[in-house]
Amino acid sequence: MIFAAPWVLLALPALPLLWWLLRVTPPAPRSENFPAIRLLMGLHAREETPARTPWWLLLLRMVAATLVILALARPVLDAGSLLPGSGPVLLVVDNGWAAAGDWPRRMQAINTVLDRAERANRQVALLVTAPDETGAAPRIAAPSPVADLRPRTAALHPEPWPPDRAAAAIALAAWHQPGTAVVYLGDGLAHEGVPGSGPGQAPGSGSGQAPGSGPGQAPRSGPEQAFSGFAAALGQAGTVTELRSNAAPPARVLLPPRSEADRLVVRVAQAPQPLGSEATVLAQSGDGRTLARAVVNLSAGAGEGSASITLPPELRNRLTRLVLEGPPSAASVVLLDERWRRRPVGLLAGELATADTPFAGSLYYLRRALTPYTEVREADLATLLKREISVLILADRPLPEGAELDTLTKWVEQGGLLIRFAGPRTAEQPIGETDPLMPVKLLGGDRQLGGALSWAEPAGVAQFSASSPFAGLSVPDEVKVNRQVLAEPSAALSSHTWAALADGTPLVTEAARGAGRIVLFHVTANADWSNLPLSGLFVDMLRRLVAMSAGVAPTSDTAVLAPAETLDGYGLLGDPPQAATGLPANEIATTVASPRHPPGLYGPENGRRALNLGGNLAGLQATPPVAGARIEDYAAAVPEHALGPPLLAAALVLLALDLLVALGLRGLLRPSRVGVTVLLLGLASVPGAHALETDTNPALATRLGYIVTGDAQLDSVSRAGLEGLSDYVNRRTAATLVEPDPVEPGRTDLSYYPLLYWPIAPEAQGLAPEQAAALNDYMSRGGIILMDTRDSGSGAGFAPGAGSALQRVGQGLVVPPLAPLTTEHVLARAFYLLQDFPGRYTGDAVWVQRDQDRANDSVSPVIIGGNDWAAAWAVDSAGRNPYAVMPGGARQRTLAYRFGVNLVMYALTGNYKGDQVHVPAILQRLGQ
Amino acid sequence: MPSASTQAAAAARRAEALGARLPPLLVAAERVAATVAQGVHGRRRVGQGDSFWQFRRFIAGDPIGRIDWRQSAKSGRPAPDGWFIRETEWEAAQTVCLWRDTSASMRWRSRGAAVEKRERAGLLLLALASLLLRGGERVTMIAPDARPVSGRSGLDRLADALGTEADDDAGVPPHVSLPRHARVVLFGDFLSPLEEIQAAVGRLAAIPVSGYLLQILDPAEADLPYSGRIRFRGLEREGDTLIPRVEGVRHEYGRRLTAQQEGLAAICAAAAFGFAIHHTDHSPETALLGLYTALTAR
Repeated sequence: MIFAAPWVLLALPALPLLWWLLRVTPPAPRSENFPAIRLLMGLHAREETPARTPWWLLLLRMVAATLVILALARPVLDAGSLLPGSGPVLLVVDNGWAAAGDWPRRMQAINTVLDRAERANRQVALLVTAPDETGAAPRIAAPSPVADLRPRTAALHPEPWPPDRAAAAIALAAWHQPGTAVVYLGDGLAHEGVPGSGPGQAPGSGSGQAPGSGPGQAPRSGPEQAFSGFAAALGQAGTVTELRSNAAPPARVLLPPRSEADRLVVRVAQAPQPLGSEATVLAQSGDGRTLARAVVNLSAGAGEGSASITLPPELRNRLTRLVLEGPPSAASVVLLDERWRRRPVGLLAGELATADTPFAGSLYYLRRALTPYTEVREADLATLLKREISVLILADRPLPEGAELDTLTKWVEQGGLLIRFAGPRTAEQPIGETDPLMPVKLLGGDRQLGGALSWAEPAGVAQFSASSPFAGLSVPDEVKVNRQVLAEPSAALSSHTWAALADGTPLVTEAARGAGRIVLFHVTANADWSNLPLSGLFVDMLRRLVAMSAGVAPTSDTAVLAPAETLDGYGLLGDPPQAATGLPANEIATTVASPRHPPGLYGPENGRRALNLGGNLAGLQATPPVAGARIEDYAAAVPEHALGPPLLAAALVLLALDLLVALGLRGLLRPSRVGVTVLLLGLASVPGAHALETDTNPALATRLGYIVTGDAQLDSVSRAGLEGLSDYVNRRTAATLVEPDPVEPGRTDLSYYPLLYWPIAPEAQGLAPEQAAALNDYMSRGGIILMDTRDSGSGAGFAPGAGSALQRVGQGLVVPPLAPLTTEHVLARAFYLLQDFPGRYTGDAVWVQRDQDRANDSVSPVIIGGNDWAAAWAVDSAGRNPYAVMPGGARQRTLAYRFGVNLVMYALTGNYKGDQVHVPAILQRLGQ
Repeated sequence: MPSASTQAAAAARRAEALGARLPPLLVAAERVAATVAQGVHGRRRVGQGDSFWQFRRFIAGDPIGRIDWRQSAKSGRPAPDGWFIRETEWEAAQTVCLWRDTSASMRWRSRGAAVEKRERAGLLLLALASLLLRGGERVTMIAPDARPVSGRSGLDRLADALGTEADDDAGVPPHVSLPRHARVVLFGDFLSPLEEIQAAVGRLAAIPVSGYLLQILDPAEADLPYSGRIRFRGLEREGDTLIPRVEGVRHEYGRRLTAQQEGLAAICAAAAFGFAIHHTDHSPETALLGLYTALTAR
């Protein structure tokens, strides 16, 4: 323990003086009224004990004084040692992805360093080694007093990309301050320089101080060189103290998984450790649920470990991310995009008998090509389509008119990918009869190239055009096509062609149908017509096609994908930072995460591509300690504790106690008074009771809602009305309603409200689409809206135009067919038996849904009337009804309340009371 | 807040209840204050009254109506010599003058006491008055413009008078003319200097009246149950005094109090007054019984 202000301790010798002063000063006497004072006048006690402060009170005051003195001397427990040197302190912090794991402890270490610098009254300069969100290279902030720096360090956070040590070394080289103490808080890993963040790549964003020779090459140097250069720069800047922790968990990176036939192989990388360890990987779906869990064993000295996750394809397709269990960081999250989705492929042959024959069957090569990458299913068409299926491959299977064709057409139009192979049966199709599920019109018969009776040579396959999904695949020369079916020439043929033969005749054609697509290979799926199925090209082509399925529009590879959502340093998805720029699709596989390309999701919503931090990191290497540095273990160090404030608090408590004691000695503290005071304070802290409780969380209690019209007068009537109704319901029924809420469709979450009251103002305009959508959604999920035009009966003149307003607002709503509300309806018997349904006015019919909709418990989603019920229910603060009912009478008001109770019961219990109509019959039956 | 008259009536009922168990009080009186009020004290003289005193011969001029015809017939002598007039004894009521100390020192009670001294004095005064009125005596307050009261309704008037009494810090009865040979009962704490009290009692004895003096004390005044360092303040502008250690002076205080009480007793004995001490934590019945005994004894 040290004292930050030791000279205050000089006050301690003054304590005996205080002791003497306190001792000779007696406490103030108690004061008493006494009538017989005349008899007391001039009396003196025989033994004169001097009135002195009791010893225990004296002790209490001395302890309090001692505590105050000690507190003012600012003692610090577990204070770190002094920093070397006498100049400014240069704090160098690695805040790349690898620091995120134990970031809170690093922040603590930073604060400890700041405390130590503050005590020594030294200025501190800060250098963070990772480029910030704007992509600016690391630079040293000018030395400033610790108090000014604290807000900056408090805002430090780990970045989702590696630190740029080379650029930091350049910044360090420009540091010339004698007596500098360098404190380096490293992440213990050697990182490659970040491309695109160094001064060479981003002119203007970097600091202009770098000497012209260094920056261009530095970022691209290898990890070890980058670190050794950085360490040397640290050494040159001053006396280095390195903060490391051996206890901290090693920084781990979750690498993108390998997709295998029936499983996903997850991989975890770390700098090799002397001891083996385990890491747990969670596979999560888009809603955050963990669908699978895999434990990865990282053996001693190994830099990488893997484990496999096996999931049914339907579940596997739902995975959106893999998460490494443990402290959150950008490196512990791998976002999965379409590349990792499993797409079940269904196979169906035209000739079922020979389809499976080895080397000759029509499905033999397809199965061999697809099985390693996808799940292949074989069954008849109906069985295949019963489960989710992404791709259906028909090998030489004509589709005659009939049920099969219709089902298949429907499936394709809903987004299926149908791949067809030609063959003898397809070629035999009668001329003029077009198969609707062919991408192009075919000419009858087939075309033979080469062979005994032909002059033509078997044709090779032309290079794929850039617009084709097969673009980029290399075409081996030995692939030859002997026979094919021909497409009817047309102007659009070339745009439907994805692959063609060397002579230009199409080999693969396609056409979109609805949301789906049809692809036709103009050759057979076996080696009869071509040796394409024997080549590796066949496998690649099928993989591309399968990857295209399920709605992924094939994007040409050079298209620039804009960042959509990016990860922050803790692995949370958020809006991309300003410096983030788009990325060509074909570079995603090779891009290292950087401020310009932070890890995250890129591209349009239907074709997101994931850039993962772990995708292109070189093998992780631990760094040696900085040469010549003093090593401190920041994790083992106990954080500093300033003892001053607690001591001062203790002194205050003692002094408060002393005050009570002094009052007690003077007789001013009577137990009864104290009791009353405590009781009054307790009562004052009890919140007042309210008739209707107010609670801000709408999910915790049942409450009614009213739709805000914007007319303050109308809204206040709605509010008062629903308050009155809630109160009435609370008094009369077992339902407990709390204060009603104003709601705005589209803005408020309506799902908490069983019943919405909606007064239609005469000037109401049509609903915005999102409002209408919210209300429709509310009604479709069992909500009830009471629409009140307030113009029925005697109120007809009060709200002119409400009827047309109702038409306007109702346009966007899905309102079922309506019928007048009769006494037979459940609403008329949900609690009270009602003959009519008055509000403030009475007369006109009330309209409810005509047909009983069993799906919604026969509850009418909308009730329309014009009786101005809210005004009848309204109760003001004095408990009176401010609005007279017309034609009037207490009976009408009571009936209005009863209708309200029935409405609430109807909203809460549905058609429960509808069953009551059968009671007489049941009773009669029971009696017999 | 009930009105003053309601309060007074309640105080009168309480006092009546207190004296309900005692028979009506007839003040023993050798000489009765000269009043014309009819009472129960025979004056051994002819006068107004109910008791037979003597027969005397008819003298011319006597009213015919006063002739006792039965006695006249028995005498057997002719008229007018044989006529006798029946005379009754003069019976008069004794007047009892009551006084209660209304100084500020009476309006005090210690922490443990239930009632103030003044309240207890009022209760005893009214209870005594109730007994006296039931006995047919006349009761008056010693106050400048007090009127004697008698009969049942007198108690309420007395209670009213008590309720509206003005505070007076003298500590001794005021100078007012009292009927001679009346009886006086004084309630108070009598903590004033003995000379003042002696002067007041001497003045009364010179009228002459005889009476009774009841010192009412709070238990705290009797025992001084305080301890420690206390600043005592007087209630009648006597000033204050700081006692460093009260337990040390308790004995001395007790001695002084006893001296005061002995002085009071001596003053009373000299003036033929009775004297008693009552503490407010004792039951008022005891004090009332003492008063009753003392007033009937002579």
